[in-house]
Amino acid sequence: MTHSPQEDGQTRDTPAEVDAAFRTQRRVALTYFIVFLVVVAAFPLLASTLDWWLDSRLIGELSPGFLTVAVGLYVVFAAIGIAAATLSSSVESQMLGAQGNQNSDGPDPYSSPGPS
Amino acid sequence: MTTTAIITLIAVLVIVLGVSVITRPRHSSTVDFYLAGQRVGVATNSWAICGDYLSAASFLGVAAAVYVSGLDGAWYAVGFAAGFVPVLLLVAAPLRRYGEFSLADFLGRRLRSDAVRLHSVGVIQLVILCYLIPQSVGGGITWELLVGHGLFGLSPYSTGVLLSTAVIAVLVAAGGMRGTTWNQAVQFLLLFAALLWLAAMVSADGFRYGEAVESLSNQPLMNPEFLDGSWELTQEQNAVDPGQAAVFGEPGARYGQLGQVALVVTLGLGTAGLPHVMNRYFTAPTGKAARTTTVWVLVLIGIFYALAVMMGTAARDIIPGAAREHPWLEELTEDGVLRVPEHALPVLGRIYGEEAGLGLIAAAALIAAMSTVAGLLLASAATWGHDVYERHINPRATQRQAVWVGRASTLIAAGAAAGLAIALRPEAFTPAMPSLVATMVTWAFAIAGSALTPVVVLTIWWRRTTAAGALAGLISGATVSIIMFLSASFLEASPLRELMAAPTLIAAPLAFLLTILVSLRTRPPSEVEADWVIMHGTAADRHAERLAQLTLRERRRRKEDRRAR
Repeated sequence: MTHSPQEDGQTRDTPAEVDAAFRTQRRVALTYFIVFLVVVAAFPLLASTLDWWLDSRLIGELSPGFLTVAVGLYVVFAAIGIAAATLSSSVESQMLGAQGNQNSDGPDPYSSPGPS
Repeated sequence: MTTTAIITLIAVLVIVLGVSVITRPRHSSTVDFYLAGQRVGVATNSWAICGDYLSAASFLGVAAAVYVSGLDGAWYAVGFAAGFVPVLLLVAAPLRRYGEFSLADFLGRRLRSDAVRLHSVGVIQLVILCYLIPQSVGGGITWELLVGHGLFGLSPYSTGVLLSTAVIAVLVAAGGMRGTTWNQAVQFLLLFAALLWLAAMVSADGFRYGEAVESLSNQPLMNPEFLDGSWELTQEQNAVDPGQAAVFGEPGARYGQLGQVALVVTLGLGTAGLPHVMNRYFTAPTGKAARTTTVWVLVLIGIFYALAVMMGTAARDIIPGAAREHPWLEELTEDGVLRVPEHALPVLGRIYGEEAGLGLIAAAALIAAMSTVAGLLLASAATWGHDVYERHINPRATQRQAVWVGRASTLIAAGAAAGLAIALRPEAFTPAMPSLVATMVTWAFAIAGSALTPVVVLTIWWRRTTAAGALAGLISGATVSIIMFLSASFLEASPLRELMAAPTLIAAPLAFLLTILVSLRTRPPSEVEADWVIMHGTAADRHAERLAQLTLRERRRRKEDRRAR
């Protein structure tokens, strides 16, 4: 059930446009993926090199290490997700479908929080 | 069975049956049965993905792992939550834009290979079975705690396994993806509400997170072990500082540094290869909607796991004191420590809400298990009904025949999972594993992350990927990961064993490497540019958005016309 590109001239992407957008998207994805890996790998590194990481107390009397695992990493994951999704969507809207978008006169109906 | 237990069970059944009846499929088409007509909105889909993903392993297992291993148990939560970052960055939007029925169909069509499709089906079925069994175990544990009686001469545990699996199998077979989507969305909201209620009750009772971690960390971490016919508390050894006692608030109760990274990588990469979660992306109307859905999921599961870690800590802090006041805790604990860590949340529920509290948490646990079972059975149905029957056994099958094969396969998969769950009683594994439910789910993540994720990611991002390369990646990833985690059971506690138990750190790079090497030595696929335009272009998205805008405008115009009249 493959969706072929639409045949009306307003919605078709050319291979050259797609290739340029693909390369930019790949750079965005790899950059954020490396940030994600560094954040996850930092915990054992900090735990073994900094006494402060487990011994000191921050918010709610929790150590930075415990606070990171209990709350901090989920906040970082969400922040990475929001930043990457915003940038990816912006790249797509700027690099693809310029002609089609000129005819579009409303917000993305599927990005609103309403149910199906 | 208490009145509360009866009311709880009836409430769960009424909710899932009601949602299934209201949202039953209107047509007997495969797009409707497997993909809910590809019209699931962002909020609904994100709730449904959370319901699908937050299984008994997340609800009972994460709190249990924290309860038994302290900070090291929280790595399960981190790994489960981390999984959606690679999904968002690398998979969600392109996968949806290619728009197939299942992961196997995506790989088969993208690489134009029946062999890839069939090998993917095999790997997917392994993942589904490894994931289904612990959900059924979760259903059995919950029934045992909530009802405590068996039916038809069966033990309470077996009765729970059979009933929870059977109910959801019948609902999935009848409701398809549309019914399952709404069920999972409602079930996630109920699950989330139950966890919030428990967190509010515990906090209102004076629980202070930091003080609890501090006081638990002032003494060595002890857990019950069944030795020579009786339960005894034994001290956990520190895996980071050998020779030292492990403590609750610091790393080392379960994993060394290598083990921590291996577990997070295994869980983090596994999500992108989980068939029941990835299949949900095909129900989104556009690639952009699939990406936005993942952002919502990241936020929602982050809150959920932060609460689950907090509740595991609260259970460890509160239950020893409660055991002196509540006689019913005597048979569940050893010197104030739970024998089965998966009991942590239900026991907290009973402490704070008596029978009604136990009922609420047990209902949430049943719901968590059932909503994930629903997704897994539907993924199983899609692979057997669409990828095997429709593609290979009977290519001329009518839509009706394909849907019926999907329905039959849900019942068979459910039967196999229930049978295996009854054979594997959780007590036999506790405390050798921090949480049986979470550990078994780790195996599913290991196979998915080692075999499917590398191939899916390369297929989306590397034009040169060939069918032969994908086969090499699938077979090597699955074989190496299974050999490694099975071998881990025979090893003494050591960094090597931790690496073997969470094998994706080794198996996934190997699968990536083999896929690339074999692809480079085989002929590049043709027509890849057309695939690239579909996966990385947004033409279909814009077309769908324009149609939706026109539909909305037309509806608005008709509404205004009606008002004017």
